[in-house]
Amino acid sequence: MSEKKGRNVGRAFVRQWQSNPLFSTGMALLVLVVLQTIAMGFDFASFGEWLSSFLRNWLNILLNNSYVGMIALGMTFVIISGGIDLAVGSTLVAVGAMVMVLVNEQATGLLTGLGITGAPAVVIGVVAGLALGLLLGEMNGVLVTKGRVPPFIVTLGTMKIFRSVTQYFMQSQPGITLPDGFKQIARAVRAPVLNSMLLPILYWLVLAIVLHVVSRYTAFGRYVYAVGSNERTTRLSGINVDRVKRRVYALMGVIVAVASIVQIARIGSMDYASAGSGYEMDAIAAVIIGGTSMSGGRGSIAGTLIGTLIIAVMNNLLTLVGVDPFLREAFKGAIVVAAVLMQRKENAN
Amino acid sequence: MPNAAYKLEMRGICKQFDQNVVLKGVDFCVRPGEIHALIGENGAGKSTLMNILGGVLPADAGEIRLDGQPVRFAAPADSLSAGVAFIHQELNLVNDLAIYENMFIGRELKKGWRLDAAEMCRRSREVFERIGLDIDPRRMVRELDASYKQIVEIARALLQNASVIIMDEPTTSLTEVEIARVFDMMRTLSAQGVSIVFISHKLKEVLTVCDCYTVLRDGQMVAHGDTRGATTEQLAYFMVGHEVSARRALEKRKFGRVVLEAKDVGCEPWFRHISFSVRAGEVLGFTGLLGDGRSELFQVLFGALGRCEGVVEVEGEPVRIPSTTRALELGIGYVPRNRKENGIVKDLSILENGSLVTLGRFRRGPLLDRAAIAGAFEKQKAGLHIKMGRASDLITSLSGGNQQKVVLAKWLTAGPKVLIFDNPTQGVDVGAKEEIYDIILRLADEGVAIVILSSEAQEIIRLCDRALVMYHGAIAGELQRSQMSETVMMHMATSGEPAAV
Repeated sequence: MSEKKGRNVGRAFVRQWQSNPLFSTGMALLVLVVLQTIAMGFDFASFGEWLSSFLRNWLNILLNNSYVGMIALGMTFVIISGGIDLAVGSTLVAVGAMVMVLVNEQATGLLTGLGITGAPAVVIGVVAGLALGLLLGEMNGVLVTKGRVPPFIVTLGTMKIFRSVTQYFMQSQPGITLPDGFKQIARAVRAPVLNSMLLPILYWLVLAIVLHVVSRYTAFGRYVYAVGSNERTTRLSGINVDRVKRRVYALMGVIVAVASIVQIARIGSMDYASAGSGYEMDAIAAVIIGGTSMSGGRGSIAGTLIGTLIIAVMNNLLTLVGVDPFLREAFKGAIVVAAVLMQRKENAN
Repeated sequence: MPNAAYKLEMRGICKQFDQNVVLKGVDFCVRPGEIHALIGENGAGKSTLMNILGGVLPADAGEIRLDGQPVRFAAPADSLSAGVAFIHQELNLVNDLAIYENMFIGRELKKGWRLDAAEMCRRSREVFERIGLDIDPRRMVRELDASYKQIVEIARALLQNASVIIMDEPTTSLTEVEIARVFDMMRTLSAQGVSIVFISHKLKEVLTVCDCYTVLRDGQMVAHGDTRGATTEQLAYFMVGHEVSARRALEKRKFGRVVLEAKDVGCEPWFRHISFSVRAGEVLGFTGLLGDGRSELFQVLFGALGRCEGVVEVEGEPVRIPSTTRALELGIGYVPRNRKENGIVKDLSILENGSLVTLGRFRRGPLLDRAAIAGAFEKQKAGLHIKMGRASDLITSLSGGNQQKVVLAKWLTAGPKVLIFDNPTQGVDVGAKEEIYDIILRLADEGVAIVILSSEAQEIIRLCDRALVMYHGAIAGELQRSQMSETVMMHMATSGEPAAV
């Protein structure tokens, strides 16, 4: 009796595994979390101690991955639409640099120089940052649609341009001090017990929910899938395909700007040469592990969220068990390939 | 006892996908040198049967014999080496390689470490000679028209000593002249003892070129016999299982005002000096050979291809149509040819495909009003008799005819003033074809101006009140309903001269 029931559950499990890509990636994440639990020395005797270190560890994971996590959400849209954006790391630096110059507390700060300080300066800085992100994203979008240049080439180019121009302008900038009001963007709300920052995680989560809704329940969201799956049919259905694509890149730019502002608010400074570099690949990896098709048309925000967490938890796990840091990237690479191999198998079924 | 008179015997073939029984003990036999038609509606099991023969799918039960010997094909390579070649509808040639390279792809001849181009060309020519084809094997495949590509694929099959060739709807994208060329080739092969299985929806072609036929319906063989003495009505009856309605009665109908008018429009290199108008409630046909420019003409008028010279008027107002979005605003709809590439979005659901055009109109705040979308689609679904599972299933779960109806549904919800149909019944079975004709005529009765682009004379005669025949990007002449006949149209389309009626 119970054996039969068990077999039925097993069969249902296999069916879920094969039919629902979210299920299999979700399971992979679950396995990693279990391993992580074991690695952290789970023990009934010292449950309280374990729990607090487990939570602290998780808050750290989420906090450290919130930037790439946000960018991966935007990247999901870009990849579903059939494109790619390699310029996200450089956009992050460009936006961060501009915002810091604007809100700099010292006399050399742009807004301080104009006599604007306190809350107004922070608001102007944030709005200007988001606007720059939008502009840079729009630039990619225009080049892709009007210029008919493949997105890979366009964003490879702007990736170089954005970072290099930022570094050029910032080389002569004297030291920058960010006002406390600005830092509160990331630091205001803290976890009651562990005193860890919560806001970056919250932004990430809210963004994920909003983008999930956009992707499934708005016309724009559905057009993104349609464009990525079959651009010709979509155009022949009277839909302005170019506008959809431009909006996708513009949205990506804005999301990067959010990530950039949160990051500088948390850290308080930025290294223009290295900040955000590699984010594009990490974001793409998360999207792919989350089951989004590189050729467009298929994928989900929820999948990307799981994909980001898989990478994050695995990194954490490798640290916990003491794997050499130099080997971490190899593991990351291996799961990207493994994830795609697994999805191929599922599609074949 | 195996019957040695048969080249190929398939006996009691069964196949089931999950709960769906596709083949229920089908027998299918072909004699040497026979051109054998395999016909049936979409979903009747033709493709499954041929995929089993081609080694693409395993059969659940039944046996296959070649020359009386039982064979078992686990992969396409097995059936190929046994002499069975499958020529798919989507041709399998690399456009950017020369003909001889395509002929020998994967089995290149070498002299030491170098490719032996001369030998490959010589052998290609040998095969070409055998089938009476005069073409330089060094030419690029890209330069060939669709019929020659088809023939190159056949030649490649022969090069591999194929003695049974399966051709899956080979004439779908060919013009009449090209079709004749392929048919000649088939007859030549048949005279040399090669057996051909010809899968087609076009019953006239079946009667023209085939010796025998086998009809499948719902996974069973319902009829087989000699094509001599058979009629298209008879075959259609076997396929559908009930009478197919005869052509529409010649009735005089009243039309409304001019909805779409073109005055001397041109767009090089496709078409020039085109003037026509279509009225509300009128069905206007455009016909001619493939590549005559009619498809491009209407893609331009729909804003999908680029700018044109000349004046376009919608309801008497001169308009510019730079994008499909603008065309939609002006009330112009376009049901494109090649459903797979232009009509459906394969990753979206039936519902989303059926509402893609009007998606943006149904909003509740920033979100889509999903209830209203589903309601609008439900209405179309009932009117169009779309046979489907759940609306959230993928579009690809439907048969060709039902997919085409979903493409129609997305335009009907938009309520266009003029609706352009480019090859509306391509790859659609007989039953669904009739339904689509009924829908088109019903739309005309409701006052929509209809434009039909088609190479099939029968389709134009069946549907249109008036037809324009195009030739090399210009209008060769106009035919009223009473003047239409296949011969007249064919003459105009091939010569560019108006026929003496």
